[in-house]
Amino acid sequence: MSTLVLDRLRKRYDRTTAVERVDLTAKQGELVALLGPSGCGKTTTLRMVAGFIAPTDGRVLIGDRDVTQVPVHLRNTGMVFQAYALFQHMTVAQNVAFGLEMRRVERAEREKRVAEALRLVRLDHLADRMPRQLSGGQQQRVALARALVVNPAVFLLDEPLSNLDAKLRAEVRMEIRALQQRLGLTTLIVTHDQEEALTMADRLVVMERGRVRQIGTPEELYENPADVFVASFVGNCNLVAGTLERPGSFRTQSGTLLPCTSEAPAANDGLVLALRPERVTVTPGEGAPGDIRAQVTAVTYLGAQTEYHLDLNGTTLRASRSTPLHDDPLRRIAPGEKLTLSWDAASARLLPAETETGDET
Amino acid sequence: MAALVLPAALLVFTLLVAPMALLARISLNHYSPTELMVEAFTAENYIRAVADPYYQQVLATTLGVAFLCTVLTVLLGFPAAYWLARMESNRKSIATILTLLPLLVGNVVRSAGWMALLGNEGGINAALRALHLTSGPLQLLYTPGAVIVGITAVVLPYMVLTLAAVIESIPRQAEEAAANLGATASTVFRRVVLPLSLPGVAAGSVLVFILCMNAYATPLLLGGPQFKMMAPAVYDQFVRGNNWPFGAALAFILLVATLVLTVIGSMALSRRYRG
Repeated sequence: MSTLVLDRLRKRYDRTTAVERVDLTAKQGELVALLGPSGCGKTTTLRMVAGFIAPTDGRVLIGDRDVTQVPVHLRNTGMVFQAYALFQHMTVAQNVAFGLEMRRVERAEREKRVAEALRLVRLDHLADRMPRQLSGGQQQRVALARALVVNPAVFLLDEPLSNLDAKLRAEVRMEIRALQQRLGLTTLIVTHDQEEALTMADRLVVMERGRVRQIGTPEELYENPADVFVASFVGNCNLVAGTLERPGSFRTQSGTLLPCTSEAPAANDGLVLALRPERVTVTPGEGAPGDIRAQVTAVTYLGAQTEYHLDLNGTTLRASRSTPLHDDPLRRIAPGEKLTLSWDAASARLLPAETETGDET
Repeated sequence: MAALVLPAALLVFTLLVAPMALLARISLNHYSPTELMVEAFTAENYIRAVADPYYQQVLATTLGVAFLCTVLTVLLGFPAAYWLARMESNRKSIATILTLLPLLVGNVVRSAGWMALLGNEGGINAALRALHLTSGPLQLLYTPGAVIVGITAVVLPYMVLTLAAVIESIPRQAEEAAANLGATASTVFRRVVLPLSLPGVAAGSVLVFILCMNAYATPLLLGGPQFKMMAPAVYDQFVRGNNWPFGAALAFILLVATLVLTVIGSMALSRRYRG
């Protein structure tokens, strides 16, 4: 168990850059998630840490040791693959014992540690089964035990939950997190699922097209996204283009003024107001003069939550809240009706507008 | 749905089962040099085939050649199959066609080419003489070696394609997982790739072994008159000797030997796979 440092890590292929430059220090026992859409370079980064891909530039340090040139089998990382990659011709116990055999751990010791690892993932009763006789969730846990039993310096997880159904996913997510914290494992997890990243990780690295967009804790990323991409990828977000009319007031492209007290980034031409839908409070009725009014265009009932699609003189916004109770007048709001909106002016963030062209590589 | 099998089943029945049944009956008949085949119910043809040292030798040669060729094809075919299976998909189809290409050349045509290459006045001997490496011609043609090399070349594509299909089904991530757990490349092969490929080795070996046991043109053309394998021997009895009962008995011995060894071999391999 050690720290993991990625130092200016870069991977270029013939024409494309898969990973532009990743700088990251994961502390001992920290769980860092690489989050991004497919093709953003997160898996390439993980595979460079494991040693399956040689970086074009930069270094990978595990502990204080530079492992950039060290072959896969000597890196002592424990990896869990997306499709589990269990050895189909070996029993569960043999699968888990494999890494210990490679490390020439004596038989008695090996059997003890295999049993321990299987107990840890609550599979000790299935030690003699073949992988194909297990359910997806059980196979996943075998893969976890197999990677953990060798006491890896760094624990690597490549989309470990994407092959599980939704209910199981939440369960295994908790289990992985609990294991990781109990064993104090420095962990790197790759995921495209923002909910998974937010709930599991100590810190997140949001990537897009080979670049790191932002690194931070779940809270930092959600409350203070660095740019429009992060704001839209992590959670839901209203993104409204416009300019700062004067401090505290944002003018949308359709001319509506919205309250906003957060600081504007350097370039004032072309701003985007980022406002989380759940920060928008909706009240039925026209309200007082000077209030922000909107017309409801659609109401989406999501069970626990209800989402309101709103039109403010040509500017569209979404507001969401816990579904109102039966006797609440909001419960009967229908498209076409008017609502009054309000939000804490500090929770609306100003971000620089995205320029789609600036991608020189 | 079962009706869909009918046309194929009918074809197999009329062209395989029925003639084999006839052949089985013929193998029990008596042969007389004057009357040729005489209706009878005797085991004398089988007894003669099994007891005659000459035919014992022919069967032993056939088994030896088939066994050697099968082992050779596994050894030569595995690396090629692995390479093919792990190739990127757009180049894989081209490589697959290239693997199949040798099958476009018929056995007789190919063997004739080998004769031109291996003969006393052939390409290899001419080259060796030109380089002053040999004084007299090297006997290459009409040797067991020529037959083994020739048959191996013919059956190799079957092995490569069968193996490649199985290796392709082994996830690359399983190899990566083994490496990640500390296995060197050779250990990954020995502990993961090879055991998971055994069903392919079994299937390919069965296919190749059957083809080798029944090889006809290659042993005939490359082995010369002294070298006898079972299939040409069967042909000799039917066509040259006009001894249908004895030929039929030889054919059945070949069939049963092939069948028994195939079953034993694949059972041994599949037990190994499970264990």
